Amino acid sequence: MPAIRTENLIKEYKDTVAVRDLNLEINEGELFSLLGVNGAGKTTTIKMLATLTQPTSGDAFIFGHSIRKDAVKIKKLIDISMQETAVARKLNVEENIEFYAGLSGQTKEEIEETKKYIFKAFELDKVAGKRASKLSGGWQRKLSIALALVTKPKILFLDEPTLGLDVISRRELWNIIRALKSDMTIILTTHYMEEAEALSDRIGVMKDGDLLFAGTKEELYAKTGTANIEDAFIEMVSGGANNG
Amino acid sequence: MAKSLRRILILTKRNLKEIVRDPLSLVFTILLPLFMEILFYFLFRGKTDQFDMKYLAPGIVAFAQSFIALFTGILISVDRSTSFLTRLYVSETRSFEFIFSYALAVLPISLVQAVLFFVVGGIIDTSIFCAGMLAAIPLSLVSALFFIAFGILLGSVCNEKAIGGVASVVISGQSLLSGMWFPKEGLNPVMVKVMDILPFKNTAVLIQNPVTGITNAWTDFFLPLLIVIAYAALIFAVAILAFSRKMKQN
Repeated sequence: MPAIRTENLIKEYKDTVAVRDLNLEINEGELFSLLGVNGAGKTTTIKMLATLTQPTSGDAFIFGHSIRKDAVKIKKLIDISMQETAVARKLNVEENIEFYAGLSGQTKEEIEETKKYIFKAFELDKVAGKRASKLSGGWQRKLSIALALVTKPKILFLDEPTLGLDVISRRELWNIIRALKSDMTIILTTHYMEEAEALSDRIGVMKDGDLLFAGTKEELYAKTGTANIEDAFIEMVSGGANNG
Repeated sequence: MAKSLRRILILTKRNLKEIVRDPLSLVFTILLPLFMEILFYFLFRGKTDQFDMKYLAPGIVAFAQSFIALFTGILISVDRSTSFLTRLYVSETRSFEFIFSYALAVLPISLVQAVLFFVVGGIIDTSIFCAGMLAAIPLSLVSALFFIAFGILLGSVCNEKAIGGVASVVISGQSLLSGMWFPKEGLNPVMVKVMDILPFKNTAVLIQNPVTGITNAWTDFFLPLLIVIAYAALIFAVAILAFSRKMKQN
């Protein structure tokens, strides 16, 4: 059974089609990157899959559970890190972890275990007592992503996880995401081509709500007749590969 | 049910920490009203009844609660703009749990306000230490619910930048329409009627009358109580709808 399967998934707003007839399968343990320019439909797709917004028509299945009918079951299997840093600003790092773990129903012992795991994976123990609002942008983003792991999800949605970070912080987060790959299915949206290239097992390219391509980067290069991901992406969204 | 209660308590604890760790919220909800209570008493006592401590202390309690609306609103608005609430929606947390947690987090601050302003007032003028004061403290929580509801509504519909301006309307309303700072006698009768109908004066007299003395149970106690409860319930209902709608949109 695929981790995620969408069937003719459509999301329409008043006069815009944000996502059009999306048919996609993502396997368990895969890191799938969604690429696209602004307004391509990446975040809307993630929001539908994470049960944050209802599709206009069509359906998607998370480990067989419908996003239309089984939102409660799906919420137990997933977590999300939005593109904005989403932390409790006046709580310190340790309190943030305790807060999210407590909210997800963990016992005191489980919360302690979770803290140990998060501290180790993200090296957040270095700033455990610091308020989130006092952390640098890179540490805040690390914390924001770390909090999505507190619930130990089977599927993790990362919406532009490295947006606005400096190159060092970005590389650090890449290493963390790579380390997570073996434990869960990850769906990542990004504007950074090199990020998708470095991290992904497969890549999806979206434009104006349409999924133009889904496959490995090698397949993307072959389809576009290019040798690097930036050229391939430009060729794909400018219509060359699609029309040709 | 037990899971839901646990989530409400965890959220409440977090919300309370977010508010009390903001130095500005402490300045406006505690220090500024306290300063006004002491200053106004010594500057204006004897000039009009409003500045006798038995009127002034309860009036300050009601006035300080208007800042509760501001800080509740700011907290919700920031939570929305930073995607904090969106993230929590991926958990099993529901809209009503958020609303309860915001309200429950602010009530202890209202209690601290009431106790502090009455105790300080009583130290200055011991005549306000009476049985009526003990009744006024829990009654102040009823009026606090009105301002909390307003805060939740503001936080649900306004963004972080707009909320200060919009909340200042509530604070000004409480200042001008509560009758705390000037005598009602001599005001235009239409203005007096408007003040009687709106919640602001009723929140003030609900806390003041037990201290100054209730001569008519209906007009001095039950009527303002019912008006405040009705406004609080109405605004809570609108706030819940606005909050839920906004969360779906986000």
